[in-house]
Amino acid sequence: MSRNKGVTIKKWFGKLLPLFTICIVGVVAIIIGIFYFNFISEKIYKDSTDHLGEIYGQVNRSFGAFVERNWGLLKSWDNNLKSSNKDEVSDFIAKEQDYWGFSDFYYISNNKTCITQNGTKVNMVLEGAWDSLAQRKEPIMAGETLASGQEITVFAVPVQHGKYKGFDYDAIAISYTNKDMANSLNVDAFSGEAKCFVIHNDGNVLLSTQEGGNIFGNYLTYLRAASDLDEESLKKLNNDWISGNSGLLQCEIGGVSHCILYQPVGYLDYFLLSAVPQSAVSAGFLSVQKATMNVLFVIFLLVSVSVIALIALRSHKQSRKNQIELQYREQMFDVLSNSVDDIFIMLDSENKSVDYISPNLERLLGIKVKEARENIRVMEKCAINFNVVIPANELESIPLNENRFWECEYMHQTTGERRWYRMTIYHMSIQGFKKYIVVMSDRTQEQQMNQKLQEALTAAKSANDAKSNFLSNMSHDIRTPMNAIVGFSVLLDKDADNTEKVREYTHKIMASSHHLLSLINDVLDMSKIESGKTSLNVDRFSLPELLEELNIILMPQAKAKNQSFTIHVQGAPPEQMIGDKLRLNQILINLLSNAIKYTPNGGRIEFLVSELPTAPHHQYVKLRFTVKDNGIGMSKEFQEQIFAPFSREVSSLTNKIQGTGLGMAITKNLVDLMGGIIQVESRLGEGSTFTVELSFTLPEKEESDSWYRQKITRMLVADDEEDVCLNIKEMMRDTGVDVSYVTDGSAAVETAIRAHRNGDDFHVILLDWKMPGLDGVETARRIREQVGENVPILVLTSYDWSEIETEARQAGINAFMPKPFFVSTLWQTIKPLFSDYTEQKDNVNEASESVMDGKLFLIAEDNELNAEILTEMLSMEGAKCELAVNGQEAVDMFKKSEPGYYDIILMDVQMPVLNGYDATKQIRASDHPEASTIPIVAMTANTFAEDVRNALDSGMNGHLGKPIDMDAVRELVGRLISDNKNES
Amino acid sequence: MKKRCFILLLTLTSALFLTSCNGNHNKSQDKNSLTIMGRKSDMEKSYMTSIFEQYETATGNKLEIIEFDDSEFEVDASKKFADGDAPDIFMHFNNADLNRFDVSDNFYYLNNENWVADLTNSSKAYCQDKEGNLLGLPFWESSVSGCFYNKTLLDSLGLKPASTQAEFDVLCQVLADIGYTPICWPADGCTWMFQFGLDPIFADDPSLLEKLNKNEVNYSDIPAVTNMVQWVSDAADKGWFGSDYLENGWSDISMIMGSGKAVMTFIWDTWFYTDFEKGNKYTVDDFALMPAFMNTADSGTYEGGNLNMMMVNKNSKKLDMALEFLSFCASSENYNIAFDGISTVSCFKGQTTNIQSSMVTNAGASIAKNERVSTAASKIIGYSADDVSAAFDRLFNKKTDVAGCVSLMDDYRIKEAKKQGVAF
Repeated sequence: MSRNKGVTIKKWFGKLLPLFTICIVGVVAIIIGIFYFNFISEKIYKDSTDHLGEIYGQVNRSFGAFVERNWGLLKSWDNNLKSSNKDEVSDFIAKEQDYWGFSDFYYISNNKTCITQNGTKVNMVLEGAWDSLAQRKEPIMAGETLASGQEITVFAVPVQHGKYKGFDYDAIAISYTNKDMANSLNVDAFSGEAKCFVIHNDGNVLLSTQEGGNIFGNYLTYLRAASDLDEESLKKLNNDWISGNSGLLQCEIGGVSHCILYQPVGYLDYFLLSAVPQSAVSAGFLSVQKATMNVLFVIFLLVSVSVIALIALRSHKQSRKNQIELQYREQMFDVLSNSVDDIFIMLDSENKSVDYISPNLERLLGIKVKEARENIRVMEKCAINFNVVIPANELESIPLNENRFWECEYMHQTTGERRWYRMTIYHMSIQGFKKYIVVMSDRTQEQQMNQKLQEALTAAKSANDAKSNFLSNMSHDIRTPMNAIVGFSVLLDKDADNTEKVREYTHKIMASSHHLLSLINDVLDMSKIESGKTSLNVDRFSLPELLEELNIILMPQAKAKNQSFTIHVQGAPPEQMIGDKLRLNQILINLLSNAIKYTPNGGRIEFLVSELPTAPHHQYVKLRFTVKDNGIGMSKEFQEQIFAPFSREVSSLTNKIQGTGLGMAITKNLVDLMGGIIQVESRLGEGSTFTVELSFTLPEKEESDSWYRQKITRMLVADDEEDVCLNIKEMMRDTGVDVSYVTDGSAAVETAIRAHRNGDDFHVILLDWKMPGLDGVETARRIREQVGENVPILVLTSYDWSEIETEARQAGINAFMPKPFFVSTLWQTIKPLFSDYTEQKDNVNEASESVMDGKLFLIAEDNELNAEILTEMLSMEGAKCELAVNGQEAVDMFKKSEPGYYDIILMDVQMPVLNGYDATKQIRASDHPEASTIPIVAMTANTFAEDVRNALDSGMNGHLGKPIDMDAVRELVGRLISDNKNES
Repeated sequence: MKKRCFILLLTLTSALFLTSCNGNHNKSQDKNSLTIMGRKSDMEKSYMTSIFEQYETATGNKLEIIEFDDSEFEVDASKKFADGDAPDIFMHFNNADLNRFDVSDNFYYLNNENWVADLTNSSKAYCQDKEGNLLGLPFWESSVSGCFYNKTLLDSLGLKPASTQAEFDVLCQVLADIGYTPICWPADGCTWMFQFGLDPIFADDPSLLEKLNKNEVNYSDIPAVTNMVQWVSDAADKGWFGSDYLENGWSDISMIMGSGKAVMTFIWDTWFYTDFEKGNKYTVDDFALMPAFMNTADSGTYEGGNLNMMMVNKNSKKLDMALEFLSFCASSENYNIAFDGISTVSCFKGQTTNIQSSMVTNAGASIAKNERVSTAASKIIGYSADDVSAAFDRLFNKKTDVAGCVSLMDDYRIKEAKKQGVAF
């Protein structure tokens, strides 16, 4: 704390140092200036007063000389006056008056009477001087006011008694007007501002040089009234005058400083007093002083300006440096804030205006910085769970140097992205200004991680629950068929002699076994899918074949429940496409099996295949498979979890239906794996509709001129549904076959007969079985009757035609075609009707019938029980078996065999010593003549696609899953042996 | 007392004798009566009623007083003269309005009357025409106007009164320098001061007055007028009138002078007895009189009073009786009775019972030398103190300059003259 304080003081000291320096220099300069000014002033005052004294000393001396001269003149004239007659005296005085300039000449008697030169009597008072003149016989000088009001100064000297014009006189005098006298006292110096007085020592003014005339009566009184002299000073002054002392004093008169100089004239207590304004006295000196001061001031000013300029320059540089640093910091902060997801805001504590806001605001929240600067409350619209972003009352409640924090979720105004922020508000004092600093720390990742962790925890719990449920379900679902198998096996053993019971128990054991097997398959399949190990086996397949197989598989099931099962194809989807037929089959069988399973007896199941529009010329097709039933339906809640593993709706209806609860989960996962979508719509008690949309790549188009080569160019179609007719016509467009259609049997007969009569028979006639009026069979009979045996007639039906097959063939129907109509199906159907095909078919049938009989199988199986079962089952087919207990033994046995000794090898995969894959590789790598040709079939419980692929990769020719399905063994073995034979 | 009784008896005897001898001068219906015409307010003055009563008592004659309201006097009186119904005695001031009455044809010159020598110079001068003919007997209370100054205060300042314009200017400046208001010059309503400055210009040069009244010259043609206006303007600018003179009026003079705030003012002596309020720091005894200086007379000027004159109708059938009436009034015995206790400057040298201020008495020599007949106010045709004051008011308020002020004075004067029917 103290360290910080010390640093702060140093910083302040550093900033204020120039100011201190200026102040100190200024104060020193002012003090020096004041001392200098006082020194100069005192010097000037002394010099000025000396100058004043000198000037008025001269004036005083001149005045004294003037007085003495007048007295001298009068004394010198006395003899002339007495020795001359009146006229001569008059002439003399007139000449002297002209010469000396006095105003008049007087004869004065001792009895205070007086006459002028021309004899006029004058009343002359000569106040204060009379005694000197008359009694002490001294020359005098006195002021006098004539009757005319004119003020004069009289100079008189006592003379020997004389007589002039009968007037006895004892003194003679001359007078000067005071104006003339004043002129003699006037001093040109001091800019004419000086006033000179001749005063008596009591202060009475005899005469003055006051321009305009003397208006002063008593100067001491005047000074008392007009000056700032106190009574003591005035008394001292008066004492000086009485004592005949000279002196100089300074006082203010009317607010103007004056120098008062007084010097005794030396006669009759008169003083010469001069009053000069101080400014006039010192004018000359003051000008020097003023010039000096001006120079000093200019120097001081220049120095000050220079210092200030230097400081300003330095300050500017420092300020510039600080600004640059500030800019750097701001840029760095901008870059920093742009590279992080935290937002920084500085608010003024007083008016809540925005001082700073980091530029990443727009990136993070989609708010422009300018808008936020103008009104910080624009951020409120981003806040999701916080009504007021920075609540004013909350701000006010934060004490200085403390902070508060809130958490709040924001949404980006443009992208809608959500972010979590921890908003910490610091209330601080910066350079004396109170500020709020808001730091919005991005907690989005943390929040998301927490959410993920929460979800993971939930998932883990859910998985754990699922696992528990799974084990519980599996325990139940496995034990149920196992219980039946075990139970019926016991009963079988007990009732082994009862053929009827044995057959019954055997059927039930087989049924339970199949259920158990399907359960195991599903579980394994699901496990495989969920572990991500499932991959698609993509190959070319035929959609018609797929639908035919589905029809074959599912029709019996539906028929068993007396349900209506129909397959519709909407539009003209391509027949050949590339995809995983096996998985597609699995998906559709699952959906259709469920539909049959959860639809009561007599219900309706519809299977619709439709092509969805795609961009033209694209090499893929998008198909929608819709499975619709009017079964028991599903609750809304169950629909939401129908695709979850082991989810089965529990109700009185479903409880009686066996199921693993994995079928829909597997279906969903397979659809996802194939990049498709699956949806379900259902209402409880009204049925369900499952929709699957999948895309398949289209193969290269094949030439379709085979129809032309078979000379099939005209075809008649009869179906009561015109849409079906039009659909067939559309689908046949690419074949070049001209399709005519009618919508009832009679029209078909008529059209066929007419064509026949015209010699232009149809090359193929396709009839719907169930038409109003004439049905397909009857129509075929009538046509056959008229047109003969050459025209192939086919019946198109979605029903099982086995019941009417005999009748239909008798009516002349050549073949049946399942709905929906496919061109390829038609081709496959009519192709055998031509001679070359018939031969081929016969060969195949023969081959398949004899494939197992008499063949020698090398069986590699480590499980003795399985080996025994397989041996027995093959023996039932007429085949012989040799057994190897591991792969190595199988290899050895094969190598030792003669060529042609073994017809085929059935190879288990998981075996001790040498597994099936390696054993196959060794066989294929051996030098046995049939090493590369001997058919080897995997026979394993590993039934996944990759197992099949691994088997094929190791050199095997096929794959059979356990438990062994003899139909599958028969089909595969027959094909492989046939192929092997053809190749050899 | 005996002398007075004797004179009264002699006068009455003479009157009876004259009356019997000059009966043809009187109207047939009343031979012993005289008609005397004047303003009503003038006729009601105490000294007028006194002299009338004295006359009627002493002579047994009757005075028939013909009075007109002041506002109607000039018109009604001139109409009487025009109608041939002129009175025996006519009272009028010797001012410009007198010209309405054809002076030379209607009034008897009194130059040779016995009482003329008893007139003071100023009163005699006032009653003369430009040729020096005495037009009437001055019988009126009068005053002397000049610069009254606070002598006590001035003495305490060690200063003397001025005797010249230059000294006066110096005095004003010195007083101003030491913080006093030299001249009390209330601008609001104090309209008389300007005529003091104008008097010397026209009194000293009657020909100039004549030219002005004949509209041959204007004020603006007379440099002295401009000089006076300039001086007043400068004095105001220098602060000689004080800082608040524009707000001060007639009623403020007493306080300003009595308190010693101002040292001097231009006024008349009787003001100190009629309007100078008691209780002030300074009393009437503290004041003295010196000439008024307005830069038109180097030695300054005093304005003599305006005097009402008794003029005799030269065409009256009772001319002698009228002249005898004037002689009765000019008798020191009678006028001293009439003016006993009246504060006035003397019109007669033998006037002793009136009250004359010591200020005037002490300044007697100066007054005698520098007094001038009230000329501007009474002799300049179209002169109006209010108009001149209005022109100066604009000058004081800086709404015009000196030349503008002089021009305004001319404009107002000519306008007023035309209003009076003078053909300029």
